[in-house]
This record gives sequence, structure tokens and C-alpha cells, in this order.
Amino acid sequence: MKTRWADDEDDAAAEAQRKREKEEKKRAKAEKARKLEEAEKLRQQEAQAAATASNGAGNGTHHLSERPAKRRRVSSEGERESSQAQPAQPRKLLRFAAPEWGPCRHVDNFERLNHIEEGSYGLVSRARETATGEIVALKKLKMDTATDGFPVTALREIQTLKASRHRHIVDLREVVVGDTLNDVFLVMGFLEHDLKTLQEDMAEPFLPSEIKTLLLQLSSAVEYLHDNWILHRDLKTSNILMNNRGEIKIADFGMARYFGDPPPPNMTQLVVTLWYRAPELLLGADKYDRAIDMWSLGCIFGELLNKEPLLQGKNEVDELSKIFELCGIPTEETWPGFKRLPNARSLRLPPSKQNIGSVIRAKFPFLTTTGSQLLSSLLSLNPALRPTASEVLAHPYFREDPRPKSTAMFPTFPSKAGQEKRRRHASPDAPMRGDAPRMPGELDFSGIFAGRENEESGAGFQLKLI
Amino acid sequence: MSILVNPLATVDQLSQSGSQLDGVPADLENSIRFAGARLTQAAGILLRLPQDIIAQAIVIFTRFFVGPEGGSLKEYGAKVRNPVALVSIIEAHTTQDISAGSLYLMAKLSSTPRSPRSVLNVYAYLDSFPSTFVDASEFDEEKDPESYYLTEGTYHAQRTLLLRTEALILRVLGFQTHVALPYTLCINYLQTLDVFSHPESQDLAKRAFAQLNTLLLSPQLVYLTHQPYALATASIYLAARELGVKLPDEEWWEVFDTDREELGFLVVAMRSMEGFAAEEKRKWGKRKVPLTVEEIEGELERRSLLNGRG
Repeated sequence: MKTRWADDEDDAAAEAQRKREKEEKKRAKAEKARKLEEAEKLRQQEAQAAATASNGAGNGTHHLSERPAKRRRVSSEGERESSQAQPAQPRKLLRFAAPEWGPCRHVDNFERLNHIEEGSYGLVSRARETATGEIVALKKLKMDTATDGFPVTALREIQTLKASRHRHIVDLREVVVGDTLNDVFLVMGFLEHDLKTLQEDMAEPFLPSEIKTLLLQLSSAVEYLHDNWILHRDLKTSNILMNNRGEIKIADFGMARYFGDPPPPNMTQLVVTLWYRAPELLLGADKYDRAIDMWSLGCIFGELLNKEPLLQGKNEVDELSKIFELCGIPTEETWPGFKRLPNARSLRLPPSKQNIGSVIRAKFPFLTTTGSQLLSSLLSLNPALRPTASEVLAHPYFREDPRPKSTAMFPTFPSKAGQEKRRRHASPDAPMRGDAPRMPGELDFSGIFAGRENEESGAGFQLKLI
Repeated sequence: MSILVNPLATVDQLSQSGSQLDGVPADLENSIRFAGARLTQAAGILLRLPQDIIAQAIVIFTRFFVGPEGGSLKEYGAKVRNPVALVSIIEAHTTQDISAGSLYLMAKLSSTPRSPRSVLNVYAYLDSFPSTFVDASEFDEEKDPESYYLTEGTYHAQRTLLLRTEALILRVLGFQTHVALPYTLCINYLQTLDVFSHPESQDLAKRAFAQLNTLLLSPQLVYLTHQPYALATASIYLAARELGVKLPDEEWWEVFDTDREELGFLVVAMRSMEGFAAEEKRKWGKRKVPLTVEEIEGELERRSLLNGRG
């Protein structure tokens, strides 16, 4: 028997129908709201695009990334609506903002204010763009005795800098030219300091929390470069710029180049300033990779801790012996195959097995265990054992106390570059093309650990502000 | 900028070129550009450069001539429109110089650099043929070495010119030397489409590459208007059509970020190349396509005379 309240099929169907209708309405409403929102967003985007377009009228490369891609966004919604089973939703295709090109502007658009520095690859001045009043760094490329036309190093510098858009890499805004074909200038963002000069003028080294922040920024930039198949090949404190907000940017791509896997043939070993040059380069390896930048990073880490360069060799041989003194002597176990490197044949290493390990731990008594683990791994003689930049970023050292200091909390310093001419530093320059990489004659490293027994090892303890 | 993305020509640059401003008719401009690109390809092969470097050089060569601020076929010899580049460039550059300059520049940036002497020797050799459209068999014939010998004096003069041309190209392009190419993407896409199990897959890949190479010479300048992913997709689509290789029924090109409209445009551009090339060959016959300023002026004069008579 059926009662009036029994749930029969009709009832159920009617109920379902009502429910469906309700839901449909709800969906239509949501859809409408969504469409409205989208239209609004699109309108905003367009307005923004128009704004940037009018801002950047007639100007070179640096607006490229914001260039609206709408011209090429062609969707063919019509065809897809034929399939009724699924709701007609236009599939979004990935679109890339395409940069443009145009002729170089003249350097007269800038007013030079003061020289900052003369590096091995060019003269840098502080300058003001006349039209906007913006302060920039203007680097004149050295053409010197180039007999093969435009120097390939300068071409690579421009190519790699143009390809690098990263918060911690100096931004190349445009390339401007002067009256003769030899006058080519890079216009870059101006930063108040470089780490080297800054450290020289500081009474105390950076605090551990500050060093962590600096290293994190640096590693993220190196990670970006390596991910984009760029080797910097001249990382050092004088190439790391810093502004008054605790932000650093890597500069000077005069040695940078694209690489690949496997590495391209005929790469020169004459790269990286001596004090930051990895042992495999000193030993004449003709195949090298990202690990050479990681070695430099290790040297910079040590330099930030000590407030002075870590491995100040006088020449290639001296540099190598300084490295072995600090990091120990490589063996076939720790670095398989190192003896087959071109310059390794002339090495005479100490025979005894004792006392040939690394003394990094002892040299940096204030560094925590994880910290010295990181430093030791960056300064691994065997390039294969050095961590990648991404591994550095994930290192527990950055998660233990003291935590990395917020950049906003960094102290500010008077800017030398902003006001006065800088003195030339007594530090070696990046190697010039044409120097012959060689190790003269027999190299005797057997004596470098002779005095180690007599050294005092470790003090009691000291208190240190963190 | 990603390594996979190219800078593209703006609407402005496409709608007007320096050459057109100087009164070079569009059809002559196309002929010269086609001849110049072919010359670059031929010289690249003789210099034993990898095809990707040659392709980059052709793209640079093509970029140089677009836009009102780009180089003009007719006048970049005497002057270049861009006032910055104008300064101190007084030598007569020829289309051939721009071709040589592009090739020299891109080889220098690669792991296979070539010396100015090699480059100039190759261009002198190619210049010694009496017509632009040389039959392949003519290259095998014994040639009198005198006809393409570069004296030491000429070499030095041309070398200076080559290096200045290089600087000029860099200035006109604002040092934008980045050229992304579709070749590797093409292989990658073919792998993704899983066609390498197909017996004809080798031919398919070769055919797709051939399409991409041909497209470098297109009067539609597609390497300046379309990104490599679209070029790679279209080349696979057409090659598969031509060889009867079956690809998925779905709109697979969308997986590679190319929509139907782009695909259609590029396929039409590719298919028009055969007719375009044949027509060019027929039009110029045994004559040389004018590549120097004087030759271009001579050609313009010839045309106006012909028109006057007609």
C-alpha cells in the first residue's frame, strides 16, 4: 500500500528536477560573476599594458618583459563548441612575451657623474639619464687590441646579461653607443656598494645572520644562472654589488658564457680571478662545469666570515699550495682521476698519509658544525663532490639559529661609488685572454704541512655577537 | 627571456622597411632578401658551419633589414637611417657584406668560430659565379682559381669592412643576438608524439627539418613573426601530411602551444615556398640578383626604362 507520504519515483524525480534547476541557476550565477570578474581583469590588464606602452615609447630593451602579448593571442572558440558533451571552454595556450629589438640609443642621453671603477673589462661610471633623471651605472666596454672585430667576451657579456632577469643579478637596461664604432656602453642599474670595498671599510665582519642572507641571495642568483646554462666564471666579492637595502646583485659578466651538457669543447681554463679559481682549473682541466662557480662561492663564504680573501695566492702555484694547505691533499680516493689532469703530473705531493686532511673546521672556530660542513663541501677539491646551488639553498645551515637576517634590517653604509672616486684595489684581476696556463717545472708541495704539528690548534672559547 | 623564445618583429617593423622608404619595390626587396639568405646558407655550408649557426645567421640577416630603422638595401651603403649608426659609417656595405657579417658574428659566438679570412674567401668564391641561381652541378665543375683569388690588399680592405659591418649589425639590432631555433623542439615534439616507432619516422624528421630550413628563406619572414614552438609544430604537421604518417586525431598542436590559425598560416607559408623559389629562378634566369647599392640602382633604372617604354 502506498501512503500519501511514500517516496515514490515520481516524487523522487520531481525532487531531483527541482534540485537540478536550483543548481543550474546557482552555476549560471557563478558563471556570470566569474565572467564579469574576468572582463574586469582583462580591462585592468589592458589599461596596465597601455600605461607601460606609453611609458616606454621608443625605448630599448628593458620594457620587454611587460610587453602585452595580446596581439598574438588568437583563440578559435568557434570550432570547439561543436562538441556538446563537454562545456565549451576555450583551452588556454601558453603565450610568451616576446622581446623586441631596435637600434641602440646614443650615449649622449646620459650625463656622466663620476667614475666608479676601472675593471679589466671596462670603465664604469655613475651617470644620470637626462630625460628621466634616473641614476645608472654606465660601463664602457674595452675594445682594445681586438683584431677579430667585436670582442667575443663583450658579446657574451651582453648576451648572457640580456638573458638574465633575476632579482639578484644586475639588470642590463640597454646598450648605448657613442660616436665611433668602438664606443659601446652598457647601461645597468646603479648600486651603492660592492662587497669587497664595503668589507674593507667595515670594522667588523658581517654578522653570521647577515652572511646567511648574503649567501642565500648569491646562491639563488647562481642557481638561476646555472639553470639557464650560464657559467659566470668570475664570481668574487668585487663583482657582487650591494645596495643600501641589504640586497646584492651579481655583476660583471665579462667572463660568462653559455655552456651545455656535455660541456662545449675548447673552453679556456683562463677564467676566474686567481683567488677564487677552482683547483681543477689550476690543474689545467679542459672540461669543467658549474662546480667552478660553486668553488668561488665557497671562497666568498670564507671571505665573508674572515673579512678578508680566503686564498690569496701570489701565482698559480702559490694558489694551489694555499688550497692544499686549507683543504688537504687530494688522493685517488677523494678525487678519482685528478692525477691525469695536465698540470697534475708535475706535482710532488707529501708522501705520508698523515696530516693531509682539511683544516677548514679548525680555521673557522666560530662556525657551527653545519656551517663548516657547507663550507667544506663547497671547497671540495673534487668538483663532483661540491653541492649545486640548489643544494646550497636547501642546506640546514640556513635553518639553524641565527636565522638569516631580513634585508630590511641590514645596516646602511656611506657609498663610495656614489660620491667619490675609488682607489684601485691590490687584488688580482680576472685573467686576460692569451696568458698561458701552465705550471713551471717541478712543483714541490711536500713541505707545506711541515709546520703543522707546531701550530696551536684551537683556543679555549670566545664570545661572539651574532 | 627564456632560451626557447625569440624576440619578434613589431607591427611597425613589419609594415615598413628602410628599403621601401628608399623606393625599393617590395618584389625586388623580396628577391634580394631571398638571394641574400640563400647566399648565407651556401657560404655557411662551404665554411662547414653547423646548420644551427647558419640558421641563426640568416635570422640575424633578416632582422637587419626589417623596420624603418633597420638597414635599407638601397641606402645603407651611403647612409643608415638610424642617426646613431650613421656616424662614421661611410663605406658602401652590400647585402653580401651583411650576409658575411651575420655569419661571422654568429660563428664567433658559437663553439665553431671562423676566421675573417675563411669567411671572405668563401664569399669571393661564391661571388665568382655569374648567376645567382647556380645549378648544383656547376659547383662540381673545375673553376679557375684566379677567378676567386683574394689579393692581400683586397683581403685587408675587405677584412676591415667585415669587422665594421659586424659592428653595424650589432648597432642596428641593439645587440640583440639571441636567436632561438625550432630544430631541437621539433625532435622533442616528435618524441612526444611517439612517432619514432613508426617505420618512416626518420624520413618524417628529415622532412620536418627540411621544411624548417626552407622556411628560413620565406618572404613572409616567419622566423621574425612566429616563435620556434609554432614553427616546429607546423613543420611536423606538414611533413606528416606529405609522407602520410598518421598523427593523433585530436588537436595535438595545442599541446605544443600552437593554435589552429597559426598552424594554418605557417603551413600555407611553407607550401608556398616551392612556387616562390621557382618563380624567383624563372624571373632572374642567368642574371644576378642585385646585391650592391650600384647594382640595385642599376636595376631600378632598368625597370623605370622598361616601364617608360611600355
